[in-house]
Amino acid sequence: MNLRFILGIAIIIVAIIFASYSFTEANIEYMTFNEALHSSKKAQVKGDWIKEKPSEFDPIKNTFSFYMVDDKNIEYQVILIGAKPNNFEIAESVVAKGKFQGNIFYASNVLTKCPSKYEAGTEELNKTL
Amino acid sequence: MLGKFLINFTFTLSLLSTIFYWYSFIRKSEFTYQKFARYLFYYSVIGIVISSTLLIYYILTHQFQYHYIWGHSSTDLPISLLVSTFYAGQEGSFNLWALLTGLLGIFLIKYNAKRNYEIEFMSVYGLIFTILILFLVIKNPFTLIWDVFPKELIQYGGNPNSSQKYTWIDQAKGIWASIPVEGRGLNPLLQNYWMVIHPPILFIGFTSMSVPFAFAVASLLKKDYLNWINIAKPWVIFGSMVLGCGILLGGFWAYETLGWGGFWGWDPVENSSLVPWLVSIATLHTMLTQKNSNKLIRTNFIFSILTFLLVLYSTFLTRSGVLGDTSVHSFVTPGATIYWLLLGAIILFSGLSIYMLILRWKEIPKEESNYSVLSREYALFLGASTLVISSFFIAIGTSSPLITLMLKGKASAVEINYYIQTNLPLAIALALFSGLGQLLWWKNTPIKILINKIWIPFIVSFALTTISYFVGVKEVTMLILIFSSYFMLIVNLMLAWNVFKGKISLVGSYVTHVGFALMLLGFVFSAKYDSKQTLSLEEGKTISAFNFDFTYLGYQQKDKNRYAFNILIDDGKDNFFISPIMFINNQDNSVIRHPDIKNLYTKDLYISPLSLDEGKSQGEELNLIKNKIIETKGITLKYLGYDFVQLKGGINDLTLSIEYKNSNKIQILKPKMINKKGNLNFQSAKTDDNKFEISIISVNPSKIEDQTTAKILLTKLDGAQNPKKETLIVEATIKPLIILVWIGTAIVMIGFIITLIRRVKEAK
Repeated sequence: MNLRFILGIAIIIVAIIFASYSFTEANIEYMTFNEALHSSKKAQVKGDWIKEKPSEFDPIKNTFSFYMVDDKNIEYQVILIGAKPNNFEIAESVVAKGKFQGNIFYASNVLTKCPSKYEAGTEELNKTL
Repeated sequence: MLGKFLINFTFTLSLLSTIFYWYSFIRKSEFTYQKFARYLFYYSVIGIVISSTLLIYYILTHQFQYHYIWGHSSTDLPISLLVSTFYAGQEGSFNLWALLTGLLGIFLIKYNAKRNYEIEFMSVYGLIFTILILFLVIKNPFTLIWDVFPKELIQYGGNPNSSQKYTWIDQAKGIWASIPVEGRGLNPLLQNYWMVIHPPILFIGFTSMSVPFAFAVASLLKKDYLNWINIAKPWVIFGSMVLGCGILLGGFWAYETLGWGGFWGWDPVENSSLVPWLVSIATLHTMLTQKNSNKLIRTNFIFSILTFLLVLYSTFLTRSGVLGDTSVHSFVTPGATIYWLLLGAIILFSGLSIYMLILRWKEIPKEESNYSVLSREYALFLGASTLVISSFFIAIGTSSPLITLMLKGKASAVEINYYIQTNLPLAIALALFSGLGQLLWWKNTPIKILINKIWIPFIVSFALTTISYFVGVKEVTMLILIFSSYFMLIVNLMLAWNVFKGKISLVGSYVTHVGFALMLLGFVFSAKYDSKQTLSLEEGKTISAFNFDFTYLGYQQKDKNRYAFNILIDDGKDNFFISPIMFINNQDNSVIRHPDIKNLYTKDLYISPLSLDEGKSQGEELNLIKNKIIETKGITLKYLGYDFVQLKGGINDLTLSIEYKNSNKIQILKPKMINKKGNLNFQSAKTDDNKFEISIISVNPSKIEDQTTAKILLTKLDGAQNPKKETLIVEATIKPLIILVWIGTAIVMIGFIITLIRRVKEAK
């Protein structure tokens, strides 16, 4: 075996280990609020925004707080670091990524799932007739 | 009908053409079959050109009886955007891809006929073209709208209402269908000039990626294992250049109008063009190695084949709906047909190419391994491998929803951090190889000579890195990355200068690498060392951030429904406006935000609008009826009537009279609404005790005195304070040295063009 070959193999092995490690680290698991509360890892919680409860942007702290109910009907306050997510009002459901601190879920990111944008429904068809 | 027929016709011809090419390949002596196949291919291209022209014609004349046209365009679009709706949807973008593949095929037939490669090449390329047309046969852009919505549109019996647009399907049986008079329109996010230029360039790039694949398989068929790379190389350079240009334009689009905050969001759609592009760039380098020292002969086959398979795989990821809603681009669920068709295409082309490769593997000449670690071959090989590894990392990250779905049963995307973390060490390695490789000799480089060449760039890069450290780059990984980028930059600059003095045609590679080094530096400085701040800008009030004074001066209507929010920015010496845009997308009521950017040479000031807090809504809305008393908040209000005065020049003003009564005092309040040629202006009225303010929202005069109503806004004032004003919330970002990315891009393109000219000359 020559030096070139060994070097090449070594690089590939390191690369594979490194990639699989990064991949597992970067994939955040879906949890319910209760599971996330007892987990030390970052979690993704899927649920709905409770529109009746107050939601507010705090420009000084740069946080947006709202109340969310998960698929198991458990409700918690969510504080997002950053401004109100795009299309929050019309979202069908939201996914918050983050961790609990006490009884508040601190989210680093909130994704909104909007009613499918390009799928043309009959409602739209009627508008254009 | 005609459109559908043309597509089926094109499909039949291209299928026959491919069959005849294969036939003439198998029966080598039959020259007439080749000619026949060639003309069939030409006619099929004419078919797709006519059907595409027809589609454009239908789009321009708003023929909403076609589902595709109804779904993506509308009558209010300007002509350039109307043309761009041609490729705005799934069917249309496949159509564009097929059209470009066909047109490029005509050049390729000529090119290959001269080099005695036509039969083998077209056997493969023709198959690719045929499969693309098959997509169109199944996802046909000429599908009629009542085939998609039969229940809603097709009527049996009765006579169509003459006010409605309709067509007879079967007049004898009284069957007819209504036709929409308007389309759904183009997604407002796509409504800008980028939509006109970016997708066609990207698709030319995508189309070109199939050329090296076809060459590789053709050369395996032909058993020409060495010469093919000389013929294929100009196409690899062309494809890499065009696709690279398309990717960068997409990045610029994202930065300038989509407001993603940066030029790259690691989104599946972006990644899907980056992944094959990286392999294509790797192929460019391994082909160069083979040409100069007869090495990496098998690698070239593998990489060329891989490029196109990755194009297909990326298309599968982004077009089959498997990623679901894990991306910011929304994907249509296109149905099972397109899913299986794309999967079938991957299986067909990987099966064909891998079979050919295995069949011929032993015949491919083995390379001699007579080069050392310190040789240009080895540096090129490592660099190319790094590119391919990076491409795999990105492909795996993009496939994350698929992988996690299979392993855990629930799809989840990777965090953006994954891409940065995995690509950072690769970027360092790439930059070092791109510097070192240019200094090394083929086969072997004596250490002394290397040291002799390397010390100047090494010291200069070290000095530049030290300066960067003191300016603010403190992280070790970033210092290593910028050191290697400086190294790549200096080495290539020095070599470019040396070569430039001699022969300008050889300078391409150095120029390209200088450009990439500048881009790398631009990425690091602008993305890693940006500073962000969320600003709450109350109208008229000045706020300081990043040594600028920001004053929000209100909004103005730009066109139909877009609003620009004007912010005056003062940097002490000079002042300028930055006007980000926000509006409601009336397709789905989402808010669309466009940033505005001021380029200050060494940095960009990037303003993204977040939201508008309208001060008015602080108050209470009240409906008043003439002469009726309303009690609220411990006071009473009575609407007495209005005065309407018409002045010259289309100006009129309307004044309400409202009786205000608190515990001990009565006062008549007169809020005003002034109409200047349709521009409404409101003047509120304040109570003497400074406790309340009233402004008009709307007035409904009525002929019957007692039914006159008005809507007003009652705002409670806290002491002597003014009511809360309109507040614009924005995110301001300083992006240092982002200009390096754009300068680097331009230099890369110049370098590519110089290289392309040189290699085209060589291929003759």
